[in-house]
Amino acid sequence: MKAVVDSFLLRALIGLVFLLVNIVSIYLLLRGHNLPGGGFIGGLMTGMSFLLLGLARGWTELQRELPVPPLRLATFGVALAAVSGAAPMLVGQPFLTQWQFHLTNVPLFREIHLGTPLIFDFGVFLLVSCITVKLIIVLARSTAGLPAFTPGEVPYYSSTLEDPIEHEPPAEESHGN
Amino acid sequence: MGIETAVLTGVMFAIATYLLLNKSFVRILFGFVVLSNAANLFILALSGTPDGKRSPVLAEGTGPMVDPLPQALVLTAIVIGFGLTIYLIMLLYRIFLDARTTNADELFRPEPGDD
Amino acid sequence: MTNALTAPLLLPLGTALVCCLLVGRPSVERRVFIAASAAVQCAVAFWLAWRAFNGPPLVLPLGNWAPPLGIVLVADGLSGIMLCLSSVVSLACVLFGYAETPVEVEQPLRLPLMQLLAAGINLAFITGDLFNLFVAFEIMLVASYALLTLEANDRDIKEAFPYLAVNIFGSSLFLIAAGMAYTVFGTLNMADISRRAADMPGDFGALLVAVLLVVVFGIKAGIFPLYYWLPNSYPILHFSLGAFYSGMLTKVGVYVLLRMLGTVFPHTLTPIYTGLAWLAGLTMVLAVLGAVSRSFIRGILSFHIVSQIGYMVLAIGFFTPLAIGACIYYVIHHIIVKSSLFLIGGTAMYYNHTDHLPRMGGLWKASPVLGVCFLLQAFSLAGVPPLSGFWGKYLILFAGFKDGHYWLVLAALVASILTLVSMLKIWLGAFWEDVPRDGTIEPQTSGAARAMTAIVCALTTLSLAIGFGVGIFLPLAQSAADSLLDPAIYRRAVFNLTGKGAP
Repeated sequence: MKAVVDSFLLRALIGLVFLLVNIVSIYLLLRGHNLPGGGFIGGLMTGMSFLLLGLARGWTELQRELPVPPLRLATFGVALAAVSGAAPMLVGQPFLTQWQFHLTNVPLFREIHLGTPLIFDFGVFLLVSCITVKLIIVLARSTAGLPAFTPGEVPYYSSTLEDPIEHEPPAEESHGN
Repeated sequence: MGIETAVLTGVMFAIATYLLLNKSFVRILFGFVVLSNAANLFILALSGTPDGKRSPVLAEGTGPMVDPLPQALVLTAIVIGFGLTIYLIMLLYRIFLDARTTNADELFRPEPGDD
Repeated sequence: MTNALTAPLLLPLGTALVCCLLVGRPSVERRVFIAASAAVQCAVAFWLAWRAFNGPPLVLPLGNWAPPLGIVLVADGLSGIMLCLSSVVSLACVLFGYAETPVEVEQPLRLPLMQLLAAGINLAFITGDLFNLFVAFEIMLVASYALLTLEANDRDIKEAFPYLAVNIFGSSLFLIAAGMAYTVFGTLNMADISRRAADMPGDFGALLVAVLLVVVFGIKAGIFPLYYWLPNSYPILHFSLGAFYSGMLTKVGVYVLLRMLGTVFPHTLTPIYTGLAWLAGLTMVLAVLGAVSRSFIRGILSFHIVSQIGYMVLAIGFFTPLAIGACIYYVIHHIIVKSSLFLIGGTAMYYNHTDHLPRMGGLWKASPVLGVCFLLQAFSLAGVPPLSGFWGKYLILFAGFKDGHYWLVLAALVASILTLVSMLKIWLGAFWEDVPRDGTIEPQTSGAARAMTAIVCALTTLSLAIGFGVGIFLPLAQSAADSLLDPAIYRRAVFNLTGKGAP
């Protein structure tokens, strides 16, 4: 598979870089409750790590290697956030009520501050990272002249009336009338 | 808001308006990018001068803090602007692929058979 | 505290998510599920409206943060009416879409996006926070952008760009206005803004914020100088979606104008009212001229939306309790009539395979029921007594006449007559004349045609009920207007809440 950026260094190091970037993004997600960070920022970083992966390995490979369709996971993220917001209503609290726990004497961590906003934030994280990955793949592939969607996705996203976006329009449309 | 922020916001709005009034859709797209950033800058400036104030983060220390609400608003606005920009780029790309032009004059030229 | 208030937001959102996650492909089961959800939304909306009318406004502090710290959801009489209308129109459009498009060729994302659009619209009706209103508008607009371009063909898709450009410009202005409101009032909670704005009469900052907000919602509602995005972009849509857009989207702008000028800002902004009234007069006359000039059904009806918006904004511009009550009644009438006219157009398109009037005809012979429905709704839109449009227009003009706005009353009458002219154009072109040589008409006896006609008949009956039941609907609208114009009720409901951070 032809890589977008043909560089030996990038190919050799991309695994390590991908791992490091994602560790940082998980760190940002977890500290987001009361420090700068959070699901949106973490999700963007994860999205960027996939951009690097795609640059190093080529977009087709990246698309093939994704374990789940990104938009499905993104929808799941929205659903997770919505459910975490709606759950307090089951116990009679208003929509979006959140709770915090402060645990001390935990082995290895000493103390942990946990809160239910983390579930909401994780939903945001999934949404943002997956949407970014999908956008990157679609934009990169269609500007490179490749089909943006896999054949299975085409009926799902495209209009029933339009020609597929990758096809060249007929010649007579190219100059007005 | 400081005078320099006010001037900068004004200049950005002027540029954005100029770009939005263009006939090329690509320039309108850039106009939108500048416009949304100008609006974000405007809102951010509303939290007052940050001199001598702490960032609105729950860390150690006391003292006056920058108003956190405009920053929360800006974050929301940035997210929305981000999504809309991507949407506009894709729409423009599709219009370009369909019509081979992004100029309003050529796109909206009446065709025989229109009314 | 009423958690049920989240239902108008969460039910459509949940439906959209379930559709995307669990049943991605259109199927009969998925259609039944969405229709059932729309019916439940309808029932919930009526229940909420009933509760809002029989008691103080319903409020819910999100996250249990007491106002003005957190975001509140508020539903008073007007919000209740709007929720009912949006859910009824949404149900009718979903069902009509089923008849219009066979399940095999339905775009998989169309109905989830439509539910998302409904979620955004409903949130705009119940939110009690200015910035949350911005978010609601964005949810609504993003869903509407996506739906607009989802099924557009290669030739029409360029018409979406002006729609986007104007609305994005409006959103940026809204953002700035929200920021300025925060600087001037120090809060974004609508009840809190109304309390503080009442304490600073004649303040220039407050006036500036009000003007900016009126401009923003004027753009969203499609008032005179900035309406050109609407009439060319709506005809891209399928009729079922067009009916939903034409029924609800611009009316969200009208609703927010009512809310801002009625509840949030003090009732002393006379220059704004006068300006709105004159712009409304220009809007209705110019837009109806546009309608007369068009020769396809969706184009004519889209221009009529703008023209009718003029009447509502004119009533807001008169700004007397009577005029506001008439405006709310007019909104009720207009949403039902406009949606059903779009759906009648959709049925006509099903028969004639086109909606270009020169190539249509013969519908009166093919389906007299449809013709009767069209005549009733067209006369209602133009304001022929005793149909619903007549009462709305009569009350608005009466309110204007009493205050001496003779020129505006005259403009409204002219616009009414021109409305009738353009409606007769559709009548002659599509219903009365025989099919031209290059057109086709199929005698439709299929289930789809009967289902479409049934939905149209149901909406026409509803609109007739609004017209003949003016004795019920007008007091309802008037009581909604009275509570809208009394900010004390709204404030009391919001500030009685307790929660975290309460003073």
